[in-house]
Amino acid sequence: MKKFLLFSLLFVVGIWFALSNFKGLAAQGEFDSIILDFREDIPTTEISQQIEAIAREYDRTANLNSIFSVGDNIYTLKGDKDLLNALRKSSLSQDTEYIEPNYIYEALETANDPRYNEQWNLQKINIEKAWDETKGDGITVAVIDTGVSRVPDLKQTNFVKGYDFVNNKENASDDNGHGTHVAGTIAQSTNNGYGVAGVAYKAKIMPLKVLSRSGGGTVADIAEAIRFAADNGADVINMSLGGGGESKLMKEAIDYAFSKNVAIIAAAGNSNANSSSYPARYPKVLSVSALNSTGSKASYSNYGAGVDISAPGGDREGGKILQETISPRTGEPIFVGLVGTSMASPHVAGVAALVKASGVSNPEQVYSVLKQSSLKVEKDPLNYYGAGQLDASAAVQQAEKGKITFRDFFRWLRDNGYLNPGFWFDGGAVALIPKIIMVVVGYLLAWFLRNYLPWTWALNGGIIMGSSGLFFLQGFYIFDLPQWPFRVMGSSIPELGNAIQGSIQLNPIFASVLIPFGLVALLLANPQGKWFAIGTSIGFASCLGVSAVVSPALWGLGTGIAAQSFLAINALLCFGLAYLASKGEKQLA
Amino acid sequence: MSITVTGKVEQSEIGIDTWALVTEEGETYELMDPPEQLCQSRTKVKVEGQVRDDVMTIAAIGPVLQINSFEVLEN
Repeated sequence: MKKFLLFSLLFVVGIWFALSNFKGLAAQGEFDSIILDFREDIPTTEISQQIEAIAREYDRTANLNSIFSVGDNIYTLKGDKDLLNALRKSSLSQDTEYIEPNYIYEALETANDPRYNEQWNLQKINIEKAWDETKGDGITVAVIDTGVSRVPDLKQTNFVKGYDFVNNKENASDDNGHGTHVAGTIAQSTNNGYGVAGVAYKAKIMPLKVLSRSGGGTVADIAEAIRFAADNGADVINMSLGGGGESKLMKEAIDYAFSKNVAIIAAAGNSNANSSSYPARYPKVLSVSALNSTGSKASYSNYGAGVDISAPGGDREGGKILQETISPRTGEPIFVGLVGTSMASPHVAGVAALVKASGVSNPEQVYSVLKQSSLKVEKDPLNYYGAGQLDASAAVQQAEKGKITFRDFFRWLRDNGYLNPGFWFDGGAVALIPKIIMVVVGYLLAWFLRNYLPWTWALNGGIIMGSSGLFFLQGFYIFDLPQWPFRVMGSSIPELGNAIQGSIQLNPIFASVLIPFGLVALLLANPQGKWFAIGTSIGFASCLGVSAVVSPALWGLGTGIAAQSFLAINALLCFGLAYLASKGEKQLA
Repeated sequence: MSITVTGKVEQSEIGIDTWALVTEEGETYELMDPPEQLCQSRTKVKVEGQVRDDVMTIAAIGPVLQINSFEVLEN
C-alpha cells in the first residue's frame, strides 16, 4: 500500500511538472523606463537622497515625470527589467508606494469616418495596427459580384477597368447592392470624414459583374471573370458567392489565376453545412467562414471540410456588417448592415491585399501568412474557424518579416492536404501537444508499474486507446459526408462520450473510472484482454490527469475546480485500478 | 431533371431579397427569380422546378431552385 501511495504521489507530481510550462505566459507589454512613486509622507530631502543614490549606484537620473507629478512624487528613469528588479529589492522599496514598468502605449492609426465606431468587425480583426504599416497601396482587388457602384463613400477609392459579364458592357455598376457593399468592406473611402471605413482603403477595386439584379449568375460568366481579373492585373480576387456543383471550366480558371499570382478568396457558404460550397471548396481558393460579433461561428455559416480561416460576417441578433451601398429598389446610396459569409470573405480579401502590399506576392505564401497569423482557436473539433480568426495586424507583421514557419506538422498537412479533391484534412482539429503529453504520461505511468507489466500489443493498445486515441483521424473529412465517424474513430475511449456531437466537454460517464473498471472486471480472466484492460486503465489515468490540468471541461461540472477534482480523483482511481489489477496478476502468475 | 419540393417560403436573413423554400426535413432551397406572388412568407407551397447546378448566388443558402410552376397549399 505504501508503494501505491508513493506511485500516486509521483504520478501527481509528474503531471504537474510536465505541464508546469504549458499554461502559456501572461501577455507582457514593452517598457524602457521605470516609474517610482515615492510615498507622500516622507520628506523631500529623503527623496533627493534616494535619487542621488540611484545616480551613484546605477548611473541613471530619475526625473519628475512632469510638472503635474510634484504632488504625487512620481519619478521616471530609463531602465529595463534587470534594473526594475534591482530597484524593487533595494532600500528604495521602503520609501515608495510602488516601482513599476512604464509601459509604452502607441497611438494607433485610426479613422475619422463618423460611423467607424459602429464597425465592430474592423476592431475585431485588429485593423488599426495593420494600417500603421500599410493600407493596401498598389494592390488591385477584383470584386466578382453584382457589380460596384461609385456611391459617395467610394468616391476617393481608386478603381480600375472592370466588366459587366451579365449585360456584356464595360460599365460594371451594381443593380443589387451586394457587390458595392462587399467592395466597401475591402476599400471604402476612409479618413474622408464621411460614412464608414474599409480594410485596405488604398487598394484599387476592379468591379466585375457576374451576378444579375436578383443575385444569381452562371459558372460560365464567373469563370470568364476570373480569367479577366488574372489577365488585367488583379492581385486578389474576392468571390462572395456560392452554390452549384463542381465545374472543370471554373477550376481551370481558378488554376490559371493562381498561376498568375492571384490570391483567390471566397465565402464558405451560408447553409450551416459541414462543407464549404463551391467555389470556396476548390483547392487553390481560401475558404472563409463567418463569425458573429462575439467571435463565435455565425449560425448560418458553413464549416468543416474546406474551411481555411474565419472572419466577421455578423448576424441579425448581435451586429451586422455596415457599409455604404445602393438600394436595390431606388438605386440611391444607402448605409446598410448585411450578414453572411459574403461579408466575411472581403475582410480576408482586404487583409490579403495588405499582405501583398507588404511584399508577399505568391498566393500560396499569402494564404500561409493569413492562416498562420490568425488568432488560433484552441478547441475547434468541428473546424468552425479553419486555421483561426483573421488578424490583420499579425498578418501584416508576419508578411513584413517574410518568414514562413509552419506551426506544426498537422497544420502543414492540412494546408497541403488536397491529395485528392474528395477529402480534406483539418490539422487544427486536435490540440497536438496535450495529446502527446497524454501518451508520454501514459507510458511514464506504465514505467512506474514496469515490474508487473509484460510489454504486449494488448497493453500498448490499451495505453494508446485510453490516453490519446488515434487522434489524427479526427481531422479527416470526406466532402458532403458526416464527419462524426472519423471523430469517433479518432477519439480515445474517455472522449467517446463527446465525440459524436463534437463537443469539447468530456462526458463524466465516459471520462471516469467506470469503463476501466468494467473492462478489468470483464477481461481479467482473458490472458490477452486483461492486459488491454490494464493498459486502458493506465491510459485513462493519463488522459484524465492531463485533462484535469490542461483543459478541465466536463459536461455538467463546468471548467472549474469541481471538474478538475472529478478528473483528478478518477485519474487516481484508474491508476490505482491498474496497479491492483496488474499486481494481482503477477501474484497469480 | 424536374423535381417537386413542398415546404414553407420565407425571406432569408442572408443576401438581399433572398427567398427560401424550407422543407419539413429542414432542407433549404434558394428560389431563383421568384415571381412576385411567391415573395411573401407562406406556410406551405408546392414548387415544381429544376435545381440549377450551374448557378452561383450571393446568398449561397442551399441548392438553387428554378421555378417552373408553384401552388400555394396554405397561406
